[in-house]
Amino acid sequence: MAIAGAGVIVAARPPRFRLRLRLREWLNREEVLGPLFVTPALLLLLVLVAYPFCMAVYFSLSDAFIGRPSQFIGIRNFVNLWESDAFRQTFQNAFVFTSIAIAVKLVLGITLALLLNQQLWFKRWIRGAVLLPWVIPTALSTLGWWWMFNSLYSVVNWTGIALDLMDPPGPNWLGQKYYAMTAVILVNIWRGLPFFAITILAGLMAIPKELYEAAEADGAGPVRRFWYITLPLLKPVLGIIILFSTIFTFSEFNIVYVLTHGGPINSTHLFATLARQVGLETGRIGEGAAISLYLFPVLAFVVWAQLKSVRREVL
Amino acid sequence: MNVISRRRFLTRTGGLVGILATGIPPALGQQRQISYLCWNNFAPASDKKLAEIGQRFTKDTGIRIRIDHIAAPQQAAKYASEVQTQAGHDVVEMRMHFPWLYEPQLVDVSDLVRELEKKYGPALSSAQETAMVKGVWRAVPQYRTFFVATYREDLFKKAGLKVPDTWEELYTVGKELKKMGHPVGIPISQNYDTISTAGPVLWSLGGKEVEKDGKTVAINGPQTVEMVEWYKKMYRDCMEAEVLSWNDASNNESIQQGKAGWVHNPVSAYIVARNRKLDTADGINHHRSLAGPNGQRHETDVPRHIGIWKFSKNVEPAKEWIRYLLGKREVYDEYIMSGDAFNLPAYTNLVDHPVLKTDPKFAALRQEGVQFHCYGWPAPPSDKIQLITNSFILPNMIAKAVTGTSTKEAIAWGANEMRKILIG
Amino acid sequence: MASAKRRRGWRKIGIHLLLVPFLIFALFPFYHMAITSLKTDREMYDRKAVPLLIKKEVTFEHYTKLLRDSEFMTWAKNSLLVSFLATTLSLVIGTVAAYALARLTFVGVGGLGTAIFVTYLVPTSLLFLPLAQVVNWLGLGDSKWALVVTYPTFLVPFCTWLLIGYFRTVPKEVEECALVDGATRIQALWHIILPIAVPGLVCAALFAFTLSWNEFIYALTFTSSSDEITASVGVTQELIRGDIYYWGQLMAGAMLGSIPIVILYVFFLDYYVSGLTAGAVKG
Repeated sequence: MAIAGAGVIVAARPPRFRLRLRLREWLNREEVLGPLFVTPALLLLLVLVAYPFCMAVYFSLSDAFIGRPSQFIGIRNFVNLWESDAFRQTFQNAFVFTSIAIAVKLVLGITLALLLNQQLWFKRWIRGAVLLPWVIPTALSTLGWWWMFNSLYSVVNWTGIALDLMDPPGPNWLGQKYYAMTAVILVNIWRGLPFFAITILAGLMAIPKELYEAAEADGAGPVRRFWYITLPLLKPVLGIIILFSTIFTFSEFNIVYVLTHGGPINSTHLFATLARQVGLETGRIGEGAAISLYLFPVLAFVVWAQLKSVRREVL
Repeated sequence: MNVISRRRFLTRTGGLVGILATGIPPALGQQRQISYLCWNNFAPASDKKLAEIGQRFTKDTGIRIRIDHIAAPQQAAKYASEVQTQAGHDVVEMRMHFPWLYEPQLVDVSDLVRELEKKYGPALSSAQETAMVKGVWRAVPQYRTFFVATYREDLFKKAGLKVPDTWEELYTVGKELKKMGHPVGIPISQNYDTISTAGPVLWSLGGKEVEKDGKTVAINGPQTVEMVEWYKKMYRDCMEAEVLSWNDASNNESIQQGKAGWVHNPVSAYIVARNRKLDTADGINHHRSLAGPNGQRHETDVPRHIGIWKFSKNVEPAKEWIRYLLGKREVYDEYIMSGDAFNLPAYTNLVDHPVLKTDPKFAALRQEGVQFHCYGWPAPPSDKIQLITNSFILPNMIAKAVTGTSTKEAIAWGANEMRKILIG
Repeated sequence: MASAKRRRGWRKIGIHLLLVPFLIFALFPFYHMAITSLKTDREMYDRKAVPLLIKKEVTFEHYTKLLRDSEFMTWAKNSLLVSFLATTLSLVIGTVAAYALARLTFVGVGGLGTAIFVTYLVPTSLLFLPLAQVVNWLGLGDSKWALVVTYPTFLVPFCTWLLIGYFRTVPKEVEECALVDGATRIQALWHIILPIAVPGLVCAALFAFTLSWNEFIYALTFTSSSDEITASVGVTQELIRGDIYYWGQLMAGAMLGSIPIVILYVFFLDYYVSGLTAGAVKG
């Protein structure tokens, strides 16, 4: 009735008002508003994500070099990369780095989350302190670690020598192969642990207390309670975190670039830093694009796993 | 008649007469402008002096100049993007081999260089090898930073050691230094300081990485064997294992905080010690670069030139700027003086510059009888030669040899890697 | 009873003791950066000195030199401008997209949601090389506007995803009431849903600002001149000249460059925590 009334009023008004009203009605329809609202995001992602991605594929299949015209050369870049010492080392580094970092972050993250889940004094302050490494700009906090690992003035070495754990002068962390990788993994753990801990903590808080109480009444000790209640119920959260962390750790750039620049002798290069060195610093864009596309299989796997196991309820 | 109508009257009647009558400068409404992209100088004071000179330039010629700065590691990417978009600055600082890399994009400045050479003598060898591409000057040499022997004079005096003059004498002296707890500090790792020492050692023995034709591998000659053997005995008797993991700043820090007794570095090691008032500053001094057995003295040099992009619409004003900065002896001298011996002139007659007298420790920087080259000499610095340098083949080769690989194998590896690059 | 209480007391202390190594691990680098930035050069470069304390004098010279001799203020201003604009842009785009995906049904709503989520996972280190070319073509090479344009590529998916979660918590009835009363969907969004979802918007804004301020690879690649770069790039690239490392200024720069984020963090800690967990748990 209201609509009929409005229709009568509309009919009696001048044409411009009718047009505006029709526009309003038209915008009110789901099939119109929905796509309209989504278009800016879609456009942005098409132009600045999908298109560059296709460009990356095109570059990797060409001999593109800065400032010169390029030619299609098929998969030669991908094949040639395997003959390069630097690339083979990078490939190995990526897997070593990612697997060790995530494993340690997982174990420490669960431990820290369990501790934070308890009744604590200064709970807010402690949580705040724990999350700080994740919030601060990584490039800047890595500068602090760079100084801490400095070959002459390292506080890590000083402490180690003072506690009698090392012989003076202590290792040159950033100048020796395995030490440099250790340093880079350590900084990644330092930066990423808060993410694991806080997210797992949320998962822990969602577990109903009654389950624990029932188990305790049945005589289960803390270890069994953890193994048979906590872990299984944490699985979804752990799954998400591991998948996220995999892609972000695998494609890490900031820490390696600031701390070691990929050295010594490529022992800490990851795909991202090698792609930048080859693509921008020496100008071989085709090869650089090919290197960064080695991130794609891992990305595809993570996306597939996420979509399969987790996204059904939300999307 | 108010000013506006007078101006309108003049533009209608136009002509030189009108302008002369009112004294309005001819460039009114049409001011010329150029932009100059420069690196962040070692000596911050030099950048300030450059800004000052820029302002005076504008006052004297009416050409406005905007000077932008960029950190050295960012230069390659920045130039690449300017070349790709064919837009950006008019004048750019080109270091080392960059004129070769961007040859098609740079204006021919041979006329400018000839003017400067008439005044200051021929440009130094390192400048010529890097700024002259296939017979044409693509950039104007301005200044350079070279490596020089830096040592703890006080320790030498205390132990009665002779200041070495050849690489072989360095070995003799180095043995004593290591026994004293102040070993020699020459890096053998993937950094440019390593190449900067290995090069002169190899050159002074008459050896080279690649022939002058830029295509034939020459690293597998007998001189390389001599060089590797020298490094092996230096590593064994005069240095410590830490040099295998040094970065570009490590040798500076080692001599600054009192450990190393002898290093090979530009003046930065001494100047920083002096400015930071470190304990070792008084004891550090320099001596002339070392010679080989035949008296040949070669040294690594990092020359910096000024180039003009072809896509610039202000080539003539840009040339005027270069003439102003480098062509006028007083201005050029002022600029060099502000650099605290970090930047030394790139022309033969200016090598013994007054800036060397500002500190007695700079005396050795006169470097009489020394030939200066950039990495990869004598091969012209093409893409492939630069790739050989940037892949650190020479350092890796030496590192392999001093850590157990036989000299023959290590050299064979190096030659093979270079061959792959020259072919690929 | 009393002994059980005492046991609980010891247990509590034990838990706090176990937290200590974690806290030291998390906070020590900041402490070390801070005291190094206040040390004199002489003490800093003295191998025999104790690196854990400042034994000689405290000096602010590194901070003053940083602010006076380098373009740090310019870099900070750039970071601020870029982060603010990118956040605003992303929030607007993300809010409308999230509303559409959370509340409306239309052709392709499921697929689009998935697409937006997937783009969040595409790492910046995969796209930076071709994006550098795109940025050059757009004439934005070596300019902070390149960052304002490209940052939303990873901010929008995140904001959208976060806001979908928050919008879903608004009861449908409230919106339907408004619609029945004659409001358009746009009016309902503006007057009803957004006010309820303010915590979500604040959270998204905070995260977007933080992610923008902390971003490094795009900033490093798309800007290079000393007056276009952001704080992270400036501090890590411009305080090293050749083989001279200005450690005091590096540490001072790292401290100052983190301050805006620390301020936001201190005031909005709970939002950061809830934002982190919202993604993982709700999703």
